[in-house]
Amino acid sequence: MKKQIIRFRLNDEPVELLADPAQSLLHLLREELELTGTKEGCGRGECGACTVLLDGRPVNSCLVPAGKVEGKQVITIEGLTRSGEARPLQEAFVAAGAVQCGFCTPGMIISAYALLKANPNPTAAEIRSAISGNLCRCTGYKQIEQAVAMAAQQGRGSSTTTKEN
Amino acid sequence: MSYRIARDLEEALQLLREGRGSARIIAGGTDLFLQDLPEALVDLSGTPETLGICAEEEMLIIGACVTHAEAAASPLLQEGATVLAEACGQVGSPQVRHAGTLGGNVVNAAPAADAAVGLVAMGARAVIVDTADARRQEAVENLYADYNRSRVDSSREILLHFAMRKHGPGEGSAFKRFASRKSLSLPMFSVAAVVRLEQGLLQEVRLVAAPVKPAPTRLPQVEQRLQGLPASGDTWRLAGELVREAVTVRGSTLRCTAEYRRHLAGVLAERALQEAARRAAGLKAGESK
Repeated sequence: MKKQIIRFRLNDEPVELLADPAQSLLHLLREELELTGTKEGCGRGECGACTVLLDGRPVNSCLVPAGKVEGKQVITIEGLTRSGEARPLQEAFVAAGAVQCGFCTPGMIISAYALLKANPNPTAAEIRSAISGNLCRCTGYKQIEQAVAMAAQQGRGSSTTTKEN
Repeated sequence: MSYRIARDLEEALQLLREGRGSARIIAGGTDLFLQDLPEALVDLSGTPETLGICAEEEMLIIGACVTHAEAAASPLLQEGATVLAEACGQVGSPQVRHAGTLGGNVVNAAPAADAAVGLVAMGARAVIVDTADARRQEAVENLYADYNRSRVDSSREILLHFAMRKHGPGEGSAFKRFASRKSLSLPMFSVAAVVRLEQGLLQEVRLVAAPVKPAPTRLPQVEQRLQGLPASGDTWRLAGELVREAVTVRGSTLRCTAEYRRHLAGVLAERALQEAARRAAGLKAGESK
Protein backbone atom coordinates (compact mmCIF):
# COMPACT_ATOMS: atom_id res chain seq x y z
CA MET A 1 0.00 0.00 0.00
CA LYS A 2 1.22 3.44 -0.90
CA LYS A 3 1.61 5.69 2.11
CA GLN A 4 1.07 9.41 2.23
CA ILE A 5 1.57 12.14 4.81
CA ILE A 6 -1.51 12.74 6.94
CA ARG A 7 -1.69 15.83 9.18
CA PHE A 8 -4.47 16.38 11.70
CA ARG A 9 -5.16 17.39 15.27
CA LEU A 10 -5.48 14.47 17.64
CA ASN A 11 -6.71 15.16 21.18
CA ASP A 12 -5.74 18.82 20.79
CA GLU A 13 -2.22 18.14 19.58
CA PRO A 14 -0.91 18.30 16.02
CA VAL A 15 -0.02 14.93 14.47
CA GLU A 16 1.88 14.30 11.25
CA LEU A 17 2.63 10.81 10.06
CA LEU A 18 3.33 8.73 6.98
CA ALA A 19 0.55 6.18 6.74
CA ASP A 20 -1.71 4.25 4.41
CA PRO A 21 -4.70 6.55 3.76
CA ALA A 22 -6.89 3.58 2.82
CA GLN A 23 -6.77 2.00 6.25
CA SER A 24 -9.47 2.92 8.72
CA LEU A 25 -9.03 5.69 11.26
CA LEU A 26 -9.61 2.99 13.90
CA HIS A 27 -6.61 1.02 12.62
CA LEU A 28 -4.49 4.17 12.45
CA LEU A 29 -5.36 5.07 16.06
CA ARG A 30 -4.85 1.62 17.54
CA GLU A 31 -2.00 0.15 15.50
CA GLU A 32 0.07 3.18 14.50
CA LEU A 33 -0.62 5.66 17.29
CA GLU A 34 -1.12 3.07 20.05
CA LEU A 35 -4.31 4.65 21.32
CA THR A 36 -6.11 1.45 22.24
CA GLY A 37 -8.92 3.01 24.27
CA THR A 38 -10.97 3.07 21.07
CA LYS A 39 -12.26 -0.49 20.60
CA GLU A 40 -12.89 -2.58 17.53
CA GLY A 41 -16.17 -4.45 17.78
CA CYS A 42 -17.73 -5.32 14.45
CA GLY A 43 -15.42 -3.33 12.16
CA ARG A 44 -18.34 -2.43 9.88
CA GLY A 45 -20.21 0.41 11.53
CA GLU A 46 -22.80 -1.62 13.36
CA CYS A 47 -21.74 -1.55 17.03
CA GLY A 48 -20.30 1.88 17.88
CA ALA A 49 -17.44 0.52 20.05
CA CYS A 50 -15.00 2.51 17.87
CA THR A 51 -16.82 5.86 18.17
CA VAL A 52 -14.59 8.96 18.16
CA LEU A 53 -15.30 12.65 17.63
CA LEU A 54 -14.44 13.93 14.16
CA ASP A 55 -14.68 17.72 14.13
CA GLY A 56 -16.83 17.40 17.23
CA ARG A 57 -19.29 14.85 15.86
CA PRO A 58 -19.46 11.18 16.88
CA VAL A 59 -18.56 8.84 14.00
CA ASN A 60 -17.56 5.17 13.66
CA SER A 61 -13.77 5.31 13.27
CA CYS A 62 -13.87 1.89 11.58
CA LEU A 63 -15.71 3.48 8.62
CA VAL A 64 -13.55 6.61 8.29
CA PRO A 65 -10.69 6.27 5.77
CA ALA A 66 -7.54 7.55 7.48
CA GLY A 67 -6.98 9.95 4.57
CA LYS A 68 -10.20 11.73 5.44
CA VAL A 69 -8.90 13.15 8.74
CA GLU A 70 -6.36 15.38 6.95
CA GLY A 71 -6.79 18.89 8.40
CA LYS A 72 -9.48 17.74 10.82
CA GLN A 73 -9.80 17.42 14.58
CA VAL A 74 -10.06 13.95 16.15
CA ILE A 75 -10.89 13.37 19.83
CA THR A 76 -10.62 9.87 21.30
CA ILE A 77 -11.53 8.56 24.75
CA GLU A 78 -7.89 9.19 25.80
CA GLY A 79 -8.28 12.87 24.92
CA LEU A 80 -11.50 13.25 26.89
CA THR A 81 -9.99 11.45 29.86
CA ARG A 82 -6.79 13.49 29.87
CA SER A 83 -8.61 16.80 29.67
CA GLY A 84 -10.94 15.77 32.49
CA GLU A 85 -13.98 16.60 30.35
CA ALA A 86 -15.37 13.08 30.62
CA ARG A 87 -14.99 12.98 34.40
CA PRO A 88 -18.66 13.53 35.32
CA LEU A 89 -19.66 10.84 32.81
CA GLN A 90 -16.99 8.42 34.02
CA GLU A 91 -18.05 8.85 37.65
CA ALA A 92 -21.72 8.49 36.77
CA PHE A 93 -21.03 5.30 34.77
CA VAL A 94 -19.28 3.80 37.80
CA ALA A 95 -21.93 4.98 40.26
CA ALA A 96 -24.82 3.68 38.15
CA GLY A 97 -23.21 0.31 37.44
CA ALA A 98 -23.17 1.14 33.72
CA VAL A 99 -19.87 -0.68 33.14
CA GLN A 100 -19.82 -4.46 33.06
CA CYS A 101 -17.34 -5.97 30.62
CA GLY A 102 -16.40 -2.43 29.62
CA PHE A 103 -15.83 -3.03 25.91
CA CYS A 104 -18.60 -0.67 24.76
CA THR A 105 -17.84 1.94 27.42
CA PRO A 106 -15.37 4.19 25.54
CA GLY A 107 -17.80 4.48 22.62
CA MET A 108 -20.73 5.04 24.94
CA ILE A 109 -18.86 7.82 26.78
CA ILE A 110 -18.00 9.53 23.49
CA SER A 111 -21.63 9.41 22.26
CA ALA A 112 -22.91 10.60 25.65
CA TYR A 113 -20.30 13.37 25.76
CA ALA A 114 -21.35 14.61 22.29
CA LEU A 115 -24.98 14.61 23.42
CA LEU A 116 -24.38 16.59 26.63
CA LYS A 117 -22.16 19.08 24.85
CA ALA A 118 -24.94 19.86 22.34
CA ASN A 119 -27.82 19.39 24.75
CA PRO A 120 -26.98 19.69 28.47
CA ASN A 121 -30.56 18.92 29.51
CA PRO A 122 -31.61 15.86 27.47
CA THR A 123 -34.86 13.97 27.85
CA ALA A 124 -34.82 10.22 28.40
CA ALA A 125 -35.78 9.77 24.73
CA GLU A 126 -32.92 12.01 23.61
CA ILE A 127 -30.47 9.97 25.70
CA ARG A 128 -31.72 6.73 24.14
CA SER A 129 -31.47 8.24 20.67
CA ALA A 130 -27.91 9.52 21.29
CA ILE A 131 -26.66 6.05 22.27
CA SER A 132 -28.76 4.19 19.69
CA GLY A 133 -25.62 3.58 17.61
CA ASN A 134 -23.76 1.93 20.49
CA LEU A 135 -24.43 -1.72 21.26
CA CYS A 136 -23.98 -3.08 24.78
CA ARG A 137 -24.28 -6.83 25.35
CA CYS A 138 -24.07 -6.74 29.17
CA THR A 139 -26.09 -4.03 30.86
CA GLY A 140 -29.40 -3.99 29.02
CA TYR A 141 -28.83 -0.21 28.61
CA LYS A 142 -30.90 0.90 31.65
CA GLN A 143 -27.89 1.70 33.81
CA ILE A 144 -26.22 3.50 30.92
CA GLU A 145 -29.28 5.70 30.39
CA GLN A 146 -29.31 6.42 34.13
CA ALA A 147 -25.61 7.25 34.12
CA VAL A 148 -25.99 9.76 31.29
CA ALA A 149 -28.97 11.36 33.06
CA MET A 150 -26.93 11.56 36.29
CA ALA A 151 -23.99 13.19 34.51
CA ALA A 152 -26.36 15.67 32.87
CA GLN A 153 -27.84 16.54 36.23
CA GLN A 154 -24.41 16.98 37.74
CA GLY A 155 -23.36 19.14 34.82
CA ARG A 156 -26.33 21.43 35.43
CA GLY A 157 -25.25 21.65 39.07
CA SER A 158 -28.82 21.35 40.24
CA SER A 159 -31.15 18.70 41.63
CA THR A 160 -33.87 19.07 38.98
CA THR A 161 -35.00 15.69 37.72
CA THR A 162 -34.67 14.61 34.13
CA LYS A 163 -37.67 15.32 31.93
CA GLU A 164 -39.61 12.29 30.76
CA ASN A 165 -39.65 12.21 26.93
CA MET B 1 -3.90 3.84 -3.31
CA SER B 2 -3.99 7.61 -3.08
CA TYR B 3 -6.47 9.70 -1.15
CA ARG B 4 -7.04 13.31 -2.13
CA ILE B 5 -9.38 15.78 -0.47
CA ALA B 6 -10.72 18.14 -3.13
CA ARG B 7 -10.88 21.81 -2.12
CA ASP B 8 -13.60 22.61 -4.60
CA LEU B 9 -15.57 21.16 -7.48
CA GLU B 10 -13.03 22.17 -10.12
CA GLU B 11 -10.24 20.38 -8.26
CA ALA B 12 -12.42 17.27 -7.85
CA LEU B 13 -13.12 17.21 -11.60
CA GLN B 14 -9.43 17.76 -12.37
CA LEU B 15 -8.43 14.83 -10.11
CA LEU B 16 -10.95 12.61 -11.92
CA ARG B 17 -9.53 13.70 -15.30
CA GLU B 18 -5.99 12.90 -14.14
CA GLY B 19 -7.18 9.50 -12.88
CA ARG B 20 -8.46 8.55 -16.37
CA GLY B 21 -11.06 6.21 -14.98
CA SER B 22 -9.00 4.83 -12.08
CA ALA B 23 -10.01 7.54 -9.56
CA ARG B 24 -13.37 7.53 -7.86
CA ILE B 25 -15.42 10.08 -5.94
CA ILE B 26 -16.32 9.37 -2.33
CA ALA B 27 -18.18 11.52 0.19
CA GLY B 28 -18.92 10.21 3.70
CA GLY B 29 -17.08 6.97 2.94
CA THR B 30 -19.29 4.86 5.21
CA ASP B 31 -19.72 2.15 2.56
CA LEU B 32 -16.13 2.29 1.30
CA PHE B 33 -14.69 -0.59 3.32
CA LEU B 34 -17.57 -2.85 2.34
CA GLN B 35 -16.37 -2.72 -1.30
CA ASP B 36 -13.17 -3.22 -3.27
CA LEU B 37 -10.96 -0.16 -3.06
CA PRO B 38 -10.12 1.69 -6.29
CA GLU B 39 -6.66 3.01 -7.12
CA ALA B 40 -7.40 6.60 -6.17
CA LEU B 41 -10.08 8.22 -4.07
CA VAL B 42 -11.23 11.82 -4.43
CA ASP B 43 -12.99 13.05 -1.30
CA LEU B 44 -15.77 15.44 -2.29
CA SER B 45 -17.19 16.03 1.18
CA GLY B 46 -15.49 19.38 1.82
CA THR B 47 -16.29 21.06 -1.50
CA PRO B 48 -18.45 24.16 -0.96
CA GLU B 49 -20.48 23.45 -4.13
CA THR B 50 -21.90 20.29 -2.55
CA LEU B 51 -22.67 21.66 0.91
CA GLY B 52 -25.61 23.44 2.47
CA ILE B 53 -29.38 23.48 2.25
CA CYS B 54 -31.18 26.51 0.87
CA ALA B 55 -34.62 27.62 -0.22
CA GLU B 56 -35.06 29.55 -3.47
CA GLU B 57 -38.65 30.68 -3.84
CA GLU B 58 -40.69 27.47 -3.93
CA MET B 59 -37.63 25.26 -4.46
CA LEU B 60 -35.29 23.54 -2.00
CA ILE B 61 -31.67 22.90 -2.99
CA ILE B 62 -29.74 20.30 -0.97
CA GLY B 63 -26.01 19.79 -1.53
CA ALA B 64 -24.99 16.20 -2.31
CA CYS B 65 -22.54 16.17 0.62
CA VAL B 66 -25.09 17.30 3.19
CA THR B 67 -25.04 14.60 5.88
CA HIS B 68 -28.13 12.72 7.02
CA ALA B 69 -27.74 14.33 10.45
CA GLU B 70 -27.75 17.83 8.93
CA ALA B 71 -30.78 17.05 6.77
CA ALA B 72 -32.73 15.52 9.67
CA ALA B 73 -32.06 18.56 11.86
CA SER B 74 -32.76 21.17 9.18
CA PRO B 75 -35.83 23.35 9.95
CA LEU B 76 -36.09 24.08 6.20
CA LEU B 77 -36.50 20.37 5.45
CA GLN B 78 -38.63 19.55 8.50
CA GLU B 79 -41.08 22.16 7.24
CA GLY B 80 -40.73 21.96 3.46
CA ALA B 81 -39.75 18.31 2.90
CA THR B 82 -40.91 16.56 6.07
CA VAL B 83 -40.74 13.09 4.53
CA LEU B 84 -37.08 13.60 3.63
CA ALA B 85 -36.03 14.98 7.03
CA GLU B 86 -37.84 12.06 8.67
CA ALA B 87 -36.22 9.47 6.38
CA CYS B 88 -32.74 10.92 6.91
CA GLY B 89 -33.26 10.71 10.68
CA GLN B 90 -33.68 6.93 10.40
CA VAL B 91 -30.55 6.05 8.44
CA GLY B 92 -28.19 3.68 10.32
CA SER B 93 -27.20 5.26 13.61
CA PRO B 94 -26.16 8.73 14.85
CA GLN B 95 -22.55 7.91 13.94
CA VAL B 96 -23.47 6.88 10.39
CA ARG B 97 -25.77 9.89 9.97
CA HIS B 98 -22.94 12.26 10.94
CA ALA B 99 -20.69 10.82 8.23
CA GLY B 100 -22.92 9.54 5.42
CA THR B 101 -24.28 11.98 2.84
CA LEU B 102 -27.47 12.24 0.78
CA GLY B 103 -25.50 12.03 -2.46
CA GLY B 104 -23.76 8.89 -1.24
CA ASN B 105 -27.08 7.38 -0.20
CA VAL B 106 -28.29 7.72 -3.80
CA VAL B 107 -25.09 6.82 -5.69
CA ASN B 108 -24.45 3.78 -3.48
CA ALA B 109 -27.76 2.60 -4.99
CA ALA B 110 -28.99 0.32 -2.22
CA PRO B 111 -32.61 -0.55 -2.98
CA ALA B 112 -34.12 0.60 0.34
CA ALA B 113 -31.88 3.51 1.28
CA ASP B 114 -34.02 5.76 3.47
CA ALA B 115 -32.88 9.15 2.16
CA ALA B 116 -33.31 8.05 -1.45
CA VAL B 117 -36.90 6.96 -0.71
CA GLY B 118 -37.61 10.40 0.76
CA LEU B 119 -35.98 12.16 -2.21
CA VAL B 120 -38.08 10.22 -4.74
CA ALA B 121 -41.25 11.00 -2.75
CA MET B 122 -40.32 14.69 -2.97
CA GLY B 123 -39.91 14.38 -6.74
CA ALA B 124 -36.27 15.42 -6.35
CA ARG B 125 -34.02 15.88 -9.36
CA ALA B 126 -30.25 15.39 -9.18
CA VAL B 127 -27.89 17.82 -10.87
CA ILE B 128 -24.82 16.01 -12.22
CA VAL B 129 -21.67 17.43 -13.79
CA ASP B 130 -19.05 15.41 -15.66
CA THR B 131 -15.36 15.75 -16.46
CA ALA B 132 -16.23 17.32 -19.84
CA ASP B 133 -18.05 20.03 -17.84
CA ALA B 134 -21.45 18.94 -19.18
CA ARG B 135 -24.33 19.29 -16.74
CA ARG B 136 -27.48 17.22 -16.70
CA GLN B 137 -30.53 16.83 -14.49
CA GLU B 138 -32.23 13.53 -13.75
CA ALA B 139 -35.07 12.38 -11.56
CA VAL B 140 -33.50 10.49 -8.63
CA GLU B 141 -35.42 7.27 -9.44
CA ASN B 142 -33.77 7.23 -12.91
CA LEU B 143 -30.25 7.02 -11.46
CA TYR B 144 -30.39 3.27 -10.77
CA ALA B 145 -28.85 0.79 -13.24
CA ASP B 146 -29.51 -2.29 -11.08
CA TYR B 147 -29.45 -3.42 -7.45
CA ASN B 148 -26.57 -1.56 -5.79
CA ARG B 149 -25.42 -0.15 -9.15
CA SER B 150 -25.81 3.52 -9.95
CA ARG B 151 -26.01 5.09 -13.37
CA VAL B 152 -23.81 7.87 -11.98
CA ASP B 153 -20.27 6.90 -12.97
CA SER B 154 -18.15 8.07 -10.03
CA SER B 155 -14.97 7.91 -12.09
CA ARG B 156 -16.14 10.76 -14.37
CA GLU B 157 -19.34 12.22 -12.93
CA ILE B 158 -20.19 14.18 -9.78
CA LEU B 159 -23.62 14.51 -8.24
CA LEU B 160 -23.71 18.16 -7.13
CA HIS B 161 -27.07 18.73 -5.50
CA PHE B 162 -30.74 17.82 -5.38
CA ALA B 163 -33.54 20.22 -6.31
CA MET B 164 -37.19 19.78 -5.36
CA ARG B 165 -40.36 21.78 -4.85
CA LYS B 166 -41.03 22.32 -1.17
CA HIS B 167 -44.41 21.61 0.42
CA GLY B 168 -47.01 24.26 -0.30
CA PRO B 169 -50.22 25.07 1.60
CA GLY B 170 -52.36 21.98 2.26
CA GLU B 171 -49.43 19.62 1.68
CA GLY B 172 -47.99 17.15 4.15
CA SER B 173 -45.75 14.10 4.05
CA ALA B 174 -44.49 11.21 6.13
CA PHE B 175 -41.99 8.33 6.05
CA LYS B 176 -42.65 4.96 7.69
CA ARG B 177 -40.27 2.03 7.89
CA PHE B 178 -40.20 -1.26 9.74
CA ALA B 179 -37.03 -3.07 10.77
CA SER B 180 -36.07 -5.70 13.32
CA ARG B 181 -34.59 -2.94 15.52
CA LYS B 182 -35.19 0.81 15.70
CA SER B 183 -31.54 1.58 15.00
CA LEU B 184 -28.69 0.03 13.00
CA SER B 185 -31.01 -2.11 10.94
CA LEU B 186 -31.96 -2.04 7.28
CA PRO B 187 -35.72 -1.77 6.78
CA MET B 188 -37.77 -4.82 5.82
CA PHE B 189 -39.96 -2.32 4.04
CA SER B 190 -40.47 1.43 3.86
CA VAL B 191 -43.16 3.72 2.44
CA ALA B 192 -43.07 7.47 1.88
CA ALA B 193 -46.23 9.52 1.23
CA VAL B 194 -46.81 13.10 0.12
CA VAL B 195 -50.40 14.41 -0.07
CA ARG B 196 -52.17 17.68 -0.87
CA LEU B 197 -55.56 18.20 0.71
CA GLU B 198 -58.31 20.56 -0.38
CA GLN B 199 -61.40 20.71 1.81
CA GLY B 200 -60.62 17.32 3.26
CA LEU B 201 -60.18 15.62 -0.13
CA LEU B 202 -56.98 14.17 -1.54
CA GLN B 203 -56.06 16.37 -4.51
CA GLU B 204 -52.60 14.95 -5.05
CA VAL B 205 -50.89 11.81 -3.73
CA ARG B 206 -47.33 10.58 -4.19
CA LEU B 207 -46.53 7.14 -2.78
CA VAL B 208 -43.09 5.54 -2.87
CA ALA B 209 -42.23 2.04 -1.68
CA ALA B 210 -38.92 0.19 -1.18
CA PRO B 211 -37.45 -2.35 -1.62
CA VAL B 212 -39.55 -3.25 -4.66
CA LYS B 213 -37.14 -2.66 -7.55
CA PRO B 214 -33.53 -1.44 -7.70
CA ALA B 215 -34.81 2.15 -7.30
CA PRO B 216 -37.35 3.52 -4.80
CA THR B 217 -40.63 2.91 -6.62
CA ARG B 218 -43.56 5.28 -7.21
CA LEU B 219 -46.99 3.58 -7.25
CA PRO B 220 -48.91 5.65 -9.84
CA GLN B 221 -51.91 3.27 -10.12
CA VAL B 222 -52.54 3.56 -6.39
CA GLU B 223 -51.95 7.32 -6.42
CA GLN B 224 -54.58 7.77 -9.14
CA ARG B 225 -57.17 5.59 -7.38
CA LEU B 226 -56.86 7.71 -4.23
CA GLN B 227 -57.30 11.06 -5.93
CA GLY B 228 -60.48 12.86 -4.91
CA LEU B 229 -61.19 10.51 -1.98
CA PRO B 230 -61.72 11.92 1.53
CA ALA B 231 -58.88 11.86 4.06
CA SER B 232 -60.45 9.15 6.22
CA GLY B 233 -59.81 5.72 7.75
CA ASP B 234 -61.69 4.00 4.92
CA THR B 235 -59.43 5.63 2.36
CA TRP B 236 -56.26 4.58 4.21
CA ARG B 237 -57.53 0.98 4.46
CA LEU B 238 -58.31 0.97 0.72
CA ALA B 239 -54.84 2.38 0.07
CA GLY B 240 -53.31 -0.43 2.14
CA GLU B 241 -55.12 -3.06 0.07
CA LEU B 242 -54.16 -1.40 -3.21
CA VAL B 243 -50.50 -1.17 -2.20
CA ARG B 244 -50.44 -4.85 -1.16
CA GLU B 245 -51.72 -5.74 -4.63
CA ALA B 246 -49.46 -3.29 -6.48
CA VAL B 247 -46.04 -4.17 -5.10
CA THR B 248 -43.82 -7.00 -6.27
CA VAL B 249 -41.77 -8.15 -3.32
CA ARG B 250 -39.01 -10.66 -2.77
CA GLY B 251 -38.32 -12.62 0.35
CA SER B 252 -34.95 -12.34 2.01
CA THR B 253 -33.38 -14.99 4.22
CA LEU B 254 -31.78 -12.21 6.26
CA ARG B 255 -34.82 -10.03 6.78
CA CYS B 256 -38.26 -11.50 6.14
CA THR B 257 -40.49 -13.54 3.81
CA ALA B 258 -42.14 -12.04 0.73
CA GLU B 259 -45.52 -12.59 2.36
CA TYR B 260 -44.59 -10.60 5.46
CA ARG B 261 -43.08 -7.87 3.32
CA ARG B 262 -46.33 -7.55 1.36
CA HIS B 263 -48.26 -7.29 4.62
CA LEU B 264 -45.88 -4.57 5.83
CA ALA B 265 -46.29 -2.66 2.56
CA GLY B 266 -50.01 -2.29 3.22
CA VAL B 267 -49.69 -1.39 6.90
CA LEU B 268 -46.92 1.15 6.30
CA ALA B 269 -48.80 2.75 3.38
CA GLU B 270 -51.87 3.24 5.61
CA ARG B 271 -49.79 4.79 8.37
CA ALA B 272 -47.72 7.01 6.06
CA LEU B 273 -50.81 8.37 4.29
CA GLN B 274 -52.66 8.99 7.54
CA GLU B 275 -49.71 10.85 9.05
CA ALA B 276 -49.11 12.84 5.85
CA ALA B 277 -52.79 13.86 5.77
CA ARG B 278 -52.68 14.88 9.44
CA ARG B 279 -49.74 17.10 8.74
CA ALA B 280 -51.39 18.50 5.61
CA ALA B 281 -54.36 19.45 7.80
CA GLY B 282 -52.00 21.13 10.24
CA LEU B 283 -52.51 18.58 13.03
CA LYS B 284 -49.81 17.05 15.19
CA ALA B 285 -49.25 13.31 15.74
CA GLY B 286 -51.99 11.83 17.90
CA GLU B 287 -54.55 14.55 17.14
CA SER B 288 -57.48 13.54 14.98
CA LYS B 289 -59.95 15.66 13.13
